[in-house]
This record gives sequence, structure tokens and C-alpha cells, in this order.
Amino acid sequence: MKITDLLEEKAIRLNSLASSKEEVLNQMINLISQTGNIVNKQEFKETVLKREKEGTTGIGEGIAIPHGKSRAVKKACLAAMVLPKGVEFEALDGKKVNLIFMIAAPENQENTHLELLSRLSALLMDEKFREELKGAKTPAEFMKIINKAEQEKYGEEKAVDGLLADTFISSSQENVQKENYEILCITSCPTGIAHTYMAAEALEKAGIETNHKIKVETQGQSGVKNHLTSEEIKNAKAIIIAADTNVELSRFNGKKVLKVRVADGIHKPKELIERALSEETPIYYSGKVEETEKNNLDEKEGIGRSIYRHLMSGVTHMLPFVVGGGILIAISFLLDNYEINPAGFGSNTPVAAFFNTIGNAAFGFMLTILSGYIAMSIADRPGLAAGFVGGAIAVSGVSLQSITNPDIATVSSGFLGALIAGFIAGYIILILKRLFSVIPKSLEGIRTILLYPVFGILLTGAVVMLINPFVGMINTGLNNFLNGLSGTNKIILGAILGGMMSVDLGGPVNKAAYTFGTGMLSQGHYDIMAAVMAGGMVSPLVIALLATFFPKKLEQKDRSSALLNYILGLSFISEGAIPYASSDPLRVLPSCIVGSAIAGALSMLFNCTLMAPHGGIFVIGIVGNSLMYVVSIAVGSIVGAIMLAALKKNVKQQT
Amino acid sequence: MKMVSQTIIIKNAEGLHARPATEIAKNATKYTSTVELDVMGNKFNAKSVLNIMSAGIKNSTQIQIICDGVDEEKALEEVLQTFKENSLV
Repeated sequence: MKITDLLEEKAIRLNSLASSKEEVLNQMINLISQTGNIVNKQEFKETVLKREKEGTTGIGEGIAIPHGKSRAVKKACLAAMVLPKGVEFEALDGKKVNLIFMIAAPENQENTHLELLSRLSALLMDEKFREELKGAKTPAEFMKIINKAEQEKYGEEKAVDGLLADTFISSSQENVQKENYEILCITSCPTGIAHTYMAAEALEKAGIETNHKIKVETQGQSGVKNHLTSEEIKNAKAIIIAADTNVELSRFNGKKVLKVRVADGIHKPKELIERALSEETPIYYSGKVEETEKNNLDEKEGIGRSIYRHLMSGVTHMLPFVVGGGILIAISFLLDNYEINPAGFGSNTPVAAFFNTIGNAAFGFMLTILSGYIAMSIADRPGLAAGFVGGAIAVSGVSLQSITNPDIATVSSGFLGALIAGFIAGYIILILKRLFSVIPKSLEGIRTILLYPVFGILLTGAVVMLINPFVGMINTGLNNFLNGLSGTNKIILGAILGGMMSVDLGGPVNKAAYTFGTGMLSQGHYDIMAAVMAGGMVSPLVIALLATFFPKKLEQKDRSSALLNYILGLSFISEGAIPYASSDPLRVLPSCIVGSAIAGALSMLFNCTLMAPHGGIFVIGIVGNSLMYVVSIAVGSIVGAIMLAALKKNVKQQT
Repeated sequence: MKMVSQTIIIKNAEGLHARPATEIAKNATKYTSTVELDVMGNKFNAKSVLNIMSAGIKNSTQIQIICDGVDEEKALEEVLQTFKENSLV
């Protein structure tokens, strides 16, 4: 942003004879209004005067920078004035003011305002520059002087590089802000709502305490924040990646890179900073070496952990589809009339059908996205296509037998199938990478654009079709097992299903219970779905209640996420409890399971029913015996929270 | 005399803007010690409003306040207090 871009000749006045501060400000406001960027002159004037009352903008050495940030300003702009005789401005140093710049900035553009101020100040520090401005004969000359100074200052600085620029800047003590961090970090976690930011905060804090300059980029559900620039990467001594998802590393080529879990970023940030700067941290090379390098890393971190990381990478990408689709579907149920046609519930009225259609479109992607991104986590980009296709085939349940014989019914492999398909696709591509590594370098392009897609998709599709009947059988077997239970004791079934919802919070066990619940809807067992949803709502509520009533049991930064967990719990998004469960599974999971089981059992006991497969509190209107349903969930959540409070130790106060 | 310093992170959506910059300079000037702000390796004289503003310190920026001289402890204390009073930290 150049000053000369924001200052027009008509907004410059070189020989004002104003004799009071008020008169000066009035003249300047008239000047700046001539640019046409001020929508409401009176409103802007009030802002400027109010600001002046809070403290003078006469900053000494004959300079004043009155300014106003207001919605009355359409576009940032400047006005300038020279007063040859000077004027009393209540300046800091008591001297008369003879050079004035006025800044008008639009609302909500803090950085624009700050940058303008910074740039202007940096130029005005130069006494020679100030004298030249005061000596200008015409507005055009005034502009020319600024233009020249800006070019000298900012033009040159860009040309001078690295170290040279640093010495140049610190010796002259005048500069633009130049990023220079010792350590750069990236934090990322599967859900991307809590741990990512907790780790970032911990690392920043540790940086202050150990006196190292640190910048942290967060890759959360809301996207990348605080992006690391290539300039910053170039100047950094070491990189810390604290992530449970796959982070793109190619931009750190040739840098010391320390890869750890996101939990380490939260719990031992100081140790990480030491390790990152020490000699033992290896230098990362991308490109050719990447594959072996990466495989080494995978071996080191253990098979279990790498599987978890791939799975979570898939879940991260799936989550928005589930949440968005699920909530839209729930809205459709809320707006629909069940009486019209029970079988078509959710699309009986046009409005409901509208929400239902969009929601279902999102839901339809869920499992294919999961398998696609699991495969991409394993085999990088070439894995994506194979993963998507594998997932789609698993969901359809097509098998080699059913293609040739239309009488054989297809049984969808569901969540379990999509999950397996993702891993199959990923590892098939990895094998192909090995096989095709003999292909000469000159034909390298052909691998990514032709061989991986064709052979990867073909092989993945074939394998998934081959195993589909078996995975489908496992799914069906599980359903049958649960079906058998329902005859014996409803309450025990409710407790089991409710508890299952919290065993892995959105994982296969949770999904099995959920799928069973939805499946039973079609057979008129509406009580089962009610118990399942009650169980699924409890876990986040346990965390939220714990944070509200037993705040000492959680770290300060965890507590603030409590409000979010109320919403997630009430919306039936069990995943909200995952960040807390993963950091302390042995205490959190049992408490959640017990709470969920109680909620599920009570819901069965009170004969609560639910006809919608999703929606949490939003579908309370269609719950049968809704009052007791709320009681069931409340009791389960409270018991879980008390149990967790008893199990968890107080967090030590960190100084 | 050993210098004293304190690192802080600016927590203010507007960054270190003109008004607090003026306050800081006003208070820093009361002391004979030098008062400097280290912003990402570059030092700025905290006794000059222009100097502070030229640093263009945005929200979430980490800065170090460095005081050096006979009354450095008091200077650091008051400048820190100024940052707090202007809700910059």
C-alpha cells in the first residue's frame, strides 16, 4: 500500500493559516472529503474529534496525525497540510505543529490503518524528508517528494536481501516490519477444533519463556491460519510439526524438521523447542528422497500409530459432510409432517424435501470421502482417485457374484467397508509406486497421469469387490447379533447401545450401534434409535458439564471449548468429546460410556421413541415421551460428569 | 548496569495503534534509561511515537521491551503497565 496511492493532489494544502486546532481539523476534514471517499462528513468529523479528545495526535517534532476509523469512510485515504506559521495543537512536546497528515480508514480494517500509520511514521522520522515537504511549492511537488522517499526506502529494502537488510535496518533504526523467526511450527489435529489451537498456544507461550521467536501456523477445521511465508521458512532455524494428520512437508525442503504428535506440542513445548534446535533433528529433503524418508518415519512411529493417522486423516475430511448433511436432514424432519406418509418422513412437504435433498447429497459423500482421504494419507495424491472409487464400490456392496447374477442381493459394506477400501487403495498405490520405480525417469510423467489412475483404480475396484460379500456379512452378522439381544431385555440393549456410542466416539463401534439404530427404524423399533441418540449425545455433554462445574479438572485452555461441547452434544455430534478422550482415554472413555449407557437404558425404560436418525435436541419435537427423554440424557450426562470429576485429578496450576 | 527485558504478545485487534503508541512514548520519556521495543529482531525507540508507529505492530505480534540504564527496572514496570492499561496484552 503506497502513500502516494492514497493521497491525491486535491487533498493537499500547502499554506494554511488556520489559527486553532479546531480550525485545522475542520480544514483537513474538508480537504479529505474532496476525495469522495467520505460518505458522511459529519459522522467522520465526530470520530476524529472524539479521537482527539482521548489524546492528542500531535506527536511532537511539529507533526500531527489526526485520524478516524469509521463506517463513514468508504476507502482508506489521506489528506496533508503544511502550516508555515504553525499552530497550537496540544502536542506531546508542547511545540507548534506545522505538518499534518490526516488518515481516514474504513471500519473493520485494523491492519490497513496500522500499515498506513506505520508507513507514514517511518517516512516522517527522517528530518530531511519533513523539511523537504514543508518547502514544497505545489501539491505536485509535495507528491513527488513523498514518491521519491517511498521508492528509496521501500524499493531499496526489497533489493537488499537477508543479512544485509538486517544490519542495514538495525543500524538505521528505520524499516518496515521484517519477519524473522527462529522456529516455525505447524499444529494440526483430526477434528481441528481444539487440540490444534491448544498446541499452538502452548508453543507460543514456551517460545516467550525460553526467549525464542516462534510463529505457529494452525491447520484446523476452519482452514490454515497464520500462514508461514516462504521468506519466513527461509530464515528459520528449525521447523516443528505437531500434528496427528498428514502435513504437507515439501515447502520445508532442506530445513531441520521435527515431527511429533499434537499432544507433545501441548504437553512438552519447551522440550520440543530444545530438540528442534539441537543437532539430532534431521534435515528434511522432499522430492525423490521423500518416499524413503517417509517410509522410515512410518516404521519408526509404528504400524498402529500410522494406521490411526491415516484413519484420522480420512475422518477429518469426512466430518464436515456428516455435520452439514446431518443437521440439514434433522431440519427437514423438524419441518416435516410425519402423519402424511411415515415412510417418506423428511420429504413429505416441499420445504422439508428441500432440506432433506441437500442434506442427503452431503451425507452421500461421507463414506467415499472417508476412503478417498485415507488412501491419500497413505499414498499421497495418486491414492485419492483409487480411494474414492474403492469407497464407492464398498458402499454399493457390489460383488463379483452379483454382477453376473442379478438374483444375488448386494449388501452394503457400509462404514467398515469404506474404511477397509481406503486402506486397500492406499497400499495398492504404494505397491504400484515400488513396481513402477523401474520405469525410466524420462517417462515419469506417465506414471502419475496414466499408470497410477488406471491400475490403481482397476486393482482397488477388483479387490474391494472380492471382499465385499465378507465385509457385508460381518456387518449383517453384527446386526443379527444385536437383533437377537432385543428380545431378551430392552433395558440392557439400551444400555449396551448407548454405551457403544461412547466407546470410540464416532468410530466403528459407535457407527455399528448407530447403523443398527437407523436400520431398526424401518422395522418400527423407534425406541432403539432413541436410546442410540441419547447415548451419543451424552459424551460431549459430560465434557461440557465437567468444564462448567468442575473447572479445576481441565486445563484453562480446554475449558473455553466447553460451550462448543454443549452445542455438539445437543446436536448429537459425539465427536466433540474426541479431543478430550484422546488426551486422557482411560478416565474420559469409561465415564462417557457409563453416562451413555445410563442414558440409553433410561430412554428404553421410559419407552422413548425417535423416528429421525439424526438431529439431537433439534428433533426433540418428534421424540415420543420427550420430557422423560430429556431426563434420561440429563441423568446420564450428570452421572458421567461426576464420575469423570472423581477420576480426574485437579490440573496443577501452571506458573 | 545490566539491562532488563520482558517479552509480550500483543493481543488487540487493532494492534499497537496511534493512541497507545503516544501513551507509551509519553511514559517512556520520563526515564533516563533507554527504552526499546524489539519487534522480530528490529529495535525501535519507545520514546518516539513515530518510531513506535513505524514498527506497525499488529495483533498477535511478539515483541520484547528492553530497558537499559539507571532506572531501567522502574521504566520497564511503567511501560509494561502502559501496555496493560491500553489493553494491548
